[in-house]
Amino acid sequence: MYILSVCGMGFGTSLMLLMDIQSMAKEHGYTVDGEATDLGSAKGKNCDLMVASSEIAAELSDENVPIVSIDNLLDKNEIKEKILPMIEKLYKGV
Amino acid sequence: MIDLLVSILSNPSIIIALIAGLGLIALRKSTSDIIKGTLKTLFGFLILQQGAGIIVNSLIPFSTMFTEAFGLTGIVAEDNAIAAAVQVVLGKETAFILIFSFLINVLIARLTKYKYIFLTGHMMFSFAATMAIVLSQMGLSSIMTIVLGSIIQGISMVLFPAISQPSVRKVIGNDNVAFGFWGSSWISLSGWVGGLFGNKEQSSEDVKVPKSLDFLKDMSILMGIIMIIVYVVTAGFVDTDTMNEISGGINKYQFAIFEALGFVVGILILLMGVRMFLAEIVPAFKGIGEKIVPGAKPALDVPIFYSYAPVAVTIGFLAALIGGLIVTFMSSLLPVAVLPSVIGLFFMGGAAGVFGNARGGLRGAIIAGFFLGLTFSLLVALAYPLIGLSEYGISGLWFASPDAIIVVIIIKLIGLLFGVPL
Repeated sequence: MYILSVCGMGFGTSLMLLMDIQSMAKEHGYTVDGEATDLGSAKGKNCDLMVASSEIAAELSDENVPIVSIDNLLDKNEIKEKILPMIEKLYKGV
Repeated sequence: MIDLLVSILSNPSIIIALIAGLGLIALRKSTSDIIKGTLKTLFGFLILQQGAGIIVNSLIPFSTMFTEAFGLTGIVAEDNAIAAAVQVVLGKETAFILIFSFLINVLIARLTKYKYIFLTGHMMFSFAATMAIVLSQMGLSSIMTIVLGSIIQGISMVLFPAISQPSVRKVIGNDNVAFGFWGSSWISLSGWVGGLFGNKEQSSEDVKVPKSLDFLKDMSILMGIIMIIVYVVTAGFVDTDTMNEISGGINKYQFAIFEALGFVVGILILLMGVRMFLAEIVPAFKGIGEKIVPGAKPALDVPIFYSYAPVAVTIGFLAALIGGLIVTFMSSLLPVAVLPSVIGLFFMGGAAGVFGNARGGLRGAIIAGFFLGLTFSLLVALAYPLIGLSEYGISGLWFASPDAIIVVIIIKLIGLLFGVPL
């Protein structure tokens, strides 16, 4: 299971977002691999799921993996509500 | 044997990789994760240095062109490129300041009520390089540079988030996170100025921004466009014979466009390296910080605020760009021509827009962005004589972080007391 978190530069907010997702997943017994990347390099990368803040997610429209758009990067509940079901689904699908 | 050890430990990429490895061991990661993380950090650091080389090389002909065209020195404000480019000379100082300043930050957070842990990795790296440059230029030994630099940076990593926290609260409505970014003081000030003249009744978020401005979110496109314009306009002002010498006979506009693209490619490579080396170090820092400091508040990078007022980000950036361009056109009155520095203007201008909107609505966002672009560029221009970079073979670049520049000015003033000339 590989998650790509995306922001404008690829090392500030996306890295924080990825760490939040990984620690949230760990609490629920899932191990998530992933990387933080920038908008320019995100296109066409191999991953199961892309996650980005809402203003960046709008730019990622034509990818063939699910894209989760997070409105408030500081809201751990929002991250959990939107992403945990996706992780569970991906795990069951494998 | 000792010589070999000293030589190995003077190599910044090895120091940084060791730090990452130790961090991963401290976090009890698996052996494969430790090997992977350590190597990726090493690759990242070497990539970053290569990117810096490309940037510096594409700025050398540009600096010559700019001086020929306008009789002025032209600079782009960009910290990461400077930090990477000085690693050859000040690598070990930078690496040690990076790690020790983090430990001092954790210590201060543990012992005082200011629980901020500064987690914006590329900013820690560029500030460490800035400290290494300033202190070594003031004639301090390598050891003293590391000691003083680490203390100053460790304090700054707590102090600046503390200064900006009241403004952060205005934007996000709570104290869960802080602002870890070396433009925080200036962004907070700009937001406050926007609040003075703004009107909270009308929010920036009621404005419809055309979809066509969306490409602004992709840094490389924006930078490509601006740098091509800057290079081509400059080339247009250089007389043909001189231009032929610089370009080696290539058509001057073709030469200008490809040198501009070379600059952007250098930035892209540099940022790829930054990404690779931060991907390992930042989680390690975060893990260690949270283990040692109960109730730690992470101080984070600037885009965390963008979702609070996305329209204000675009408005703030455009206003900042206008403010910055005014300073560029005033160049003949200033020590140096500050060219529109896209990364700084975008990230700081965007945040100033958000902070200005929180205090003064749409008008607040416009004023805050404009104020930031104007005064930030002025600050860079006026502080420029304080630090020369030519001894590292760097031309056309200068520092871009207001907080760091303020600290440099304070260090220089204290240096005066000890008889070190400015």
